[in-house]
Amino acid sequence: MKKFFSDKVAITVFTLPALLIFTVMIFIPILQVFWNSFFEWDGLSEGLFIGIDNYIRLFDDKAFYIANKNGFIFAAIITVLQIVLATFFAIAVANSKIKGRRFFRIAYFIPVVLSVTVVCQLWLSIYNADTGLLNKFFEAIGSDYRQNWLSDRNKAIMAIAVVNAWQWMGYVFALILAGIKSIPNSYYEAAQIDGASDFKAHTKITIPLLAETYKFCLILSVTGGIKAFTEMFIMTGGGPGNSTYTLTYLMYTSAFKSGEFGYGLAAATVLVLECLIAIIVINKLFKQDAQMN
Amino acid sequence: MKKIKIGDLIFKSFLWIYAMISLYPLIWMVFYSFKNNEEIFVSNPFGFPTVLRVENYIKAWTQYNVPKYFINSLIVAVATVILTVSCALLFSYATSRMKWKGSEIARIYMALGMFIPVQAVLIPVAKIVKELHLMGHYSSLILPYTALNLSFATLVFYGFFKGIPVELEEAACIDGANIYQAFFRIIVPVVKPAIATLVIFTFLTAWNEFLLANVLIIDAKLRTLPLGVLFFQGQFTTDWGAMGATMVIASIPTVLVYTLFSEQVEKALTVGGAVKG
Repeated sequence: MKKFFSDKVAITVFTLPALLIFTVMIFIPILQVFWNSFFEWDGLSEGLFIGIDNYIRLFDDKAFYIANKNGFIFAAIITVLQIVLATFFAIAVANSKIKGRRFFRIAYFIPVVLSVTVVCQLWLSIYNADTGLLNKFFEAIGSDYRQNWLSDRNKAIMAIAVVNAWQWMGYVFALILAGIKSIPNSYYEAAQIDGASDFKAHTKITIPLLAETYKFCLILSVTGGIKAFTEMFIMTGGGPGNSTYTLTYLMYTSAFKSGEFGYGLAAATVLVLECLIAIIVINKLFKQDAQMN
Repeated sequence: MKKIKIGDLIFKSFLWIYAMISLYPLIWMVFYSFKNNEEIFVSNPFGFPTVLRVENYIKAWTQYNVPKYFINSLIVAVATVILTVSCALLFSYATSRMKWKGSEIARIYMALGMFIPVQAVLIPVAKIVKELHLMGHYSSLILPYTALNLSFATLVFYGFFKGIPVELEEAACIDGANIYQAFFRIIVPVVKPAIATLVIFTFLTAWNEFLLANVLIIDAKLRTLPLGVLFFQGQFTTDWGAMGATMVIASIPTVLVYTLFSEQVEKALTVGGAVKG
């Protein structure tokens, strides 16, 4: 039996394909990101080692601050919209007294399975200033709130964040719903006997017991804000000006548009670090909270 | 008593209102895929099409390369699923059941991928794909997609394998089976539910992937549907109906998979919650 489980040939055959693909396509690339961020490099010729110059330039770059600010706004909007709405809907759909639960479940989740390009194209036509659904809607109800949603320097990032929140709310909803289903019914029965209202039962039982789920949702939306790219790429092209830049966008344009690969990789390194810091901080916060209770 | 009823009413209408916000853009997309420009923009922007213009779909299918995009997406997604699931199954089996030095290290090494965002490795992956002369082949997408899904898939399978009693292989060993036979005939059938979860998860992510495809696909003949939907904008801006039809076609497979296996899809996509945290 021992021989059976320590067959060297079998171990090699079993692990090699996965290790090889992972090493070539993920591990070596991430090392290259860190290493080459210290070079001035056009992606073709030999790079020139310049130490931390790329980083100095990055921290001096106005676009870098805009990108971080946008990442923060994006994260804040999707966190609030997704987690608040998803909690509300998950509690409702978990309640067997509500009619049409299957319909709601599908209705809330379906945008998750769509391609992000379809979603962006769709919302481009919804936001369109002249012909868009949104402005036509305001027109139809007789409001003069119609505007150019994506070409306002301050509002564009929010409009884009709403699109992301719209697409992924269902995902957070499904996560929280799965969490609620794992809570034993007896907890709620006990609360009912004690005379607690439904609202109180949820704030005292459901939400605290789902701490792990909320931690995961928070990590997803905060890192989602830091990594945001596709929506800006398709819907605004980073504009107007560079007002909807994100870190990934800065990296993308530096490398693929202006050919400054080293500079782009410095942005990529900061991206990885920011995501790691976000994960560590959120984990710490939740741990402290668990100890306090 | 009356107060509660009003609260109840507001609560329920909010459920319905958001369901409409969530669904109406999609219904609207399906509507306009059957309309012409005049109807979309002027006479009937919101409602059901007055005439079902099926010719939008015929046009999308015959003139705008949609079948090509569709086949490309299908090849890439199916190959990614097969490669990811088989590599991850084998790897997790070796790290969870078999005894060898470095098994723990190999497992942790693979799990590191969970912390590496695709966005970060975009530039070097593009370069490596070029250096390996994969540009212009489906493998330029299939291999990076597989690598990106491996960390997650191996974590899920590892958990499943840990839960299987060793007696299964012991019995097989006594019956004279070798490790390969034990793996394929006994272990793989036992973890079918996990395989189903990962097939769905990997298929959906590969079908919808945009970021890498946008950088790695230069050859127009290899474009997947998410790219096709995007390039429509530049080429045929005037024909909104056909563009709507293309978007509907691009969405049919994933929406179909979801409506057929809704609970499994939700489970597959949210299983990350248990693993990532």
